[in-house]
Amino acid sequence: MSMEKRRPQLNLDELHQLKWLLGGVIALLAVWTVFYMNLEGWTLMAITTGAVAAVMIWPALPSRVPALVHTLAFPAIVLFFAGDLWLTTEVLPAMVRLDMLLLLYRGITYRQRRDDLQVIVLGLFLIVVAGVLTVSLLFAAQILAYTGCALGFLLSITLTEAAKGDGDGAAGAGQPGGPPAWATHTDWPQLFRRLREAADWRVVALGAALFAGVVGLSALLFLALPRFQIENSLFLERFVIRKARTGFTDSIKIGDVSEIVQDTGLALSVDVSDRNVVPAVPYWRMLVLDQYEKGSFKLSPGLRLTSFGRFDRTGTVVHGEARPRLGPAVYWTFYLESGVSRYLPLAGDFSVLQFRESQNFRQSADLAVLALRDEPVSMTAYRVESLDTSGTLPDPGFAKRWRERDPRTAARGLLQNKLSVSPADQTRLRQAVETIEAGGPGPVAARDFADRAGAWLRKNHLYSLNPTIPGGEGDPLVRWMTSNEGGHCELFAGSLVLLARSAGFPARVVTGFKGGSWNGYSNNFTIRNSDAHAWAEVFDAAAGAWLREDPLAVGSAAQNDAANGEAALAARADRSWEARLDSLRVFWYRRIVNFDQRSQTETLKAVKAATQEAGRQLRERVARLADAVKTWLAGPWNLRRLANVLGFACAAAALGWIGWEFGRGWWRRLVRRPGGKHGDPVRHEASRWLRRMTVEPPRGAAGAEVVAELRRLRFGARATWPEPEKIFRRARQVWREAARQSKRQPGGTSASV
Amino acid sequence: MSDFMQAGKISEAKQLLDALRTNMRVTIRGKDDVVDQVLVCLVAGGHLLIEDLPGVGKTTLAYSLARSMDCAFSRIQFTSDLLPSDVTGVAIYDETVKEFVFKKGPVFANVVLADEINRATPKTQSALLEVMDRARVTIDGAAHAVGVPFMVFATQNPVDYEGTFPLPESQMDRFLMRLQMGYPQAADELEILRTQRGGYDTITLNPVVDRGDVLKLQSSAHEVFVEETVLDYILKIVAATRTEAEFRAGVSVRGGLALRTAAQARALVNGRDFVLPEDVTELVTPVLAHRLGLARQTSDALEERRAVAAALRRIWSSIPVPQ
Repeated sequence: MSMEKRRPQLNLDELHQLKWLLGGVIALLAVWTVFYMNLEGWTLMAITTGAVAAVMIWPALPSRVPALVHTLAFPAIVLFFAGDLWLTTEVLPAMVRLDMLLLLYRGITYRQRRDDLQVIVLGLFLIVVAGVLTVSLLFAAQILAYTGCALGFLLSITLTEAAKGDGDGAAGAGQPGGPPAWATHTDWPQLFRRLREAADWRVVALGAALFAGVVGLSALLFLALPRFQIENSLFLERFVIRKARTGFTDSIKIGDVSEIVQDTGLALSVDVSDRNVVPAVPYWRMLVLDQYEKGSFKLSPGLRLTSFGRFDRTGTVVHGEARPRLGPAVYWTFYLESGVSRYLPLAGDFSVLQFRESQNFRQSADLAVLALRDEPVSMTAYRVESLDTSGTLPDPGFAKRWRERDPRTAARGLLQNKLSVSPADQTRLRQAVETIEAGGPGPVAARDFADRAGAWLRKNHLYSLNPTIPGGEGDPLVRWMTSNEGGHCELFAGSLVLLARSAGFPARVVTGFKGGSWNGYSNNFTIRNSDAHAWAEVFDAAAGAWLREDPLAVGSAAQNDAANGEAALAARADRSWEARLDSLRVFWYRRIVNFDQRSQTETLKAVKAATQEAGRQLRERVARLADAVKTWLAGPWNLRRLANVLGFACAAAALGWIGWEFGRGWWRRLVRRPGGKHGDPVRHEASRWLRRMTVEPPRGAAGAEVVAELRRLRFGARATWPEPEKIFRRARQVWREAARQSKRQPGGTSASV
Repeated sequence: MSDFMQAGKISEAKQLLDALRTNMRVTIRGKDDVVDQVLVCLVAGGHLLIEDLPGVGKTTLAYSLARSMDCAFSRIQFTSDLLPSDVTGVAIYDETVKEFVFKKGPVFANVVLADEINRATPKTQSALLEVMDRARVTIDGAAHAVGVPFMVFATQNPVDYEGTFPLPESQMDRFLMRLQMGYPQAADELEILRTQRGGYDTITLNPVVDRGDVLKLQSSAHEVFVEETVLDYILKIVAATRTEAEFRAGVSVRGGLALRTAAQARALVNGRDFVLPEDVTELVTPVLAHRLGLARQTSDALEERRAVAAALRRIWSSIPVPQ
């Protein structure tokens, strides 16, 4: 007997193998969320990844696990959870670790249907917890991947159950004595080949289209849903405490900031509503360090107490010292990645800062520094109005204390003028100051001194991320300053501070980020950890303000005069692939962050306006076309025009006829697939005509011949088919003829059939 | 093997079958449908069980077929004292050569008429099992092939059951089809009455095909294309007999294969190289009915046959025909 080839189908063993693979992928996707949750689950994650990956590749491995392990597994897991909870007293991390243990166990044992479903639920728990806690773009990508895999997994479960039938429920389960049959002869390349053969591209395309549709619809709903802070509502944030991975803390040793420079990860994204106010070189201040001791700068307890106060404040709005600008307000929106610092980057003083949710924080208006109580575990967004980026920070309080100081004693609160170095080092510093001041006439002002000191340091030292501090007695910073070794920003800034203090100018180190790139795709500043920087601020008593002095920049005053606005952005424009990826992240942030519902409303309005505009343009285009046709028709007619019209009509008719006659045939050839009930469109069409001819039988030899040919198309071997389109055309002709005849003869066959 | 029948083969098959049909209709009058069914059975390579009253032309039918094919014909009258060796043959000691020599029985022919097969004992009936299945006879460990082609025409009387041994199911399953001849129409019977004829051995028919042609036809039947939905249709019918409460047991896998093969043969007999659903529906009763038995007790065999046929009709009419 000859038979047509059917599309191959996966057998039960192959379905089991596919299910096994997908289950493993789901478990891995879920446990990898620990990468960005940082809750002491790395070891467990590594073990789970290794074990699950191994059994995915070698499915026979689980059969070698002794039965005793299975017996003791669940009591052990329960004990582990209880112990974890007892020791750490943190519920959520313990639950996450429990979830990972269960996933590990389920991942390395043969699963029945309920176990497969359990894997999905366990994985979903991890994904959702990670997503809620981090609100990161990675979560969006991961939930998409997870959803796709989970759908495939569910499909494979259904297909496996259907293939097993009712009487073979235990076929996929592990056998007590050894691995199931499907696990003993795995050939993954062969499985993928079979999968490719068995997959119908139309089903795959339809599935992908449906998935994309669901994602699109979800995105639209997401845009329209009101935002709320689920982590704050559930107090989840307190359960997961994340440590900053960078060096931006109250105390920084020399080299801490430079270590951050090795990390090229994204630290901060900044949106600005008016590009013209963007400075040529923005400095994103985070922390002021006033106390120096033996190579280490830190925020002195005194300054912390006087500036930040004793108590945390709670709220969404923070008022700064800067006056609002005239004209339209300029908004800077900061998206600070988690793990950077609890000190928020700011470019200077501001008038109003708004969090998107209530925060516990401490503010120092004098220092223009804002600190959250805890390290944020997720992205922190805040919007700042009227940010002062000039680099000059007025400090009336300090100015007053400075004026009223007793020159004989180091008054409390004036630590920013204190030199905590040995007398010998002080002498060396004095000598250096004299050298610097010798360059110009008369007494030197703060700005002038700072510039000269910066130039002197740059003259004697090259920039290097691998500095060498000469050995010997005394303060390491002074030793470096008086040498010719290269150094990094902290050494430069620290030296400048010591020099300024030695010269009698109060000075302090400031840490944060410098510069950043302008993302040309999403139009925002992108600041990476590698942009971490330290610089100095020198107090100008005449102005009563702190002046920014970056000893690694050529003339801080000159910087302020450099091109601002669009020109500055053009110089920093980044259109790399990395920027494209970062733009996605910013897009995500812009959509999930909502300060006052306004941006959400604006987005929806923009969508509506775009739709209306498209409709309006279409209507206008149609109206213009109609007018053009009307005008053309109203024009004088001659033979040439008539011939043109006729030619056009004939061409259109010909095209229409070709489409009608052959279009469906081309479509049928395009979508033809082997096998399946009525799956072949030619067979389907032939069947349709045969049914039609049962109702209205054709007459004569021609009719019988057409029926015979249609039967051949419907039931015959494809290789023996006549030209289908030709037969369908003839069928149409004889069927119309039969219909006409039966109308002429009301008592004809059509009534009797 | 190509996955479709060459155009030349189908026209040749049509020519041969037309010749056979025409030749047989010379002697079998008014029974065109029966002739066609016999041809289907021949082309499918099966064996035929004819149930009817004596004297309706069963022997003539078998003889006419054998003559038309230029094949050896033999007739075995089954009786209760018939021995298996009377059918298959026997090894006897030959004094001249000083060894046992196999003397072939009447089964060594191409067309064998097993007349009133149910009158023989089950032991003798069983002697036909091997030869019907494998076309060979094994005596004293030696296999002897019978004629090629080989076709058994078995007859039995459905009315007179006294002193008979009903054929076991295994034996029934070996028959591809079961037919009834029936009485001819009056006009045809008149025509028969007009002819001056003696027994079947007085029939003179010219052979129109030879054995090679028959083998070619049988080979061609296997190449007839069966579309997926038609196969599915066959499967549904067979499966339905297995869930039908009225039957003692459903149709075997061999029964399903027989239905498919018979449908292919019918398509070829009708000049087609592909099977239509109607080929299947037409053959459901002849191919499947004798393989099925009623779960309940019936008063006589005729009633059982009628009930089985009705149940089968109900089954296939309830299954949607592929269109």
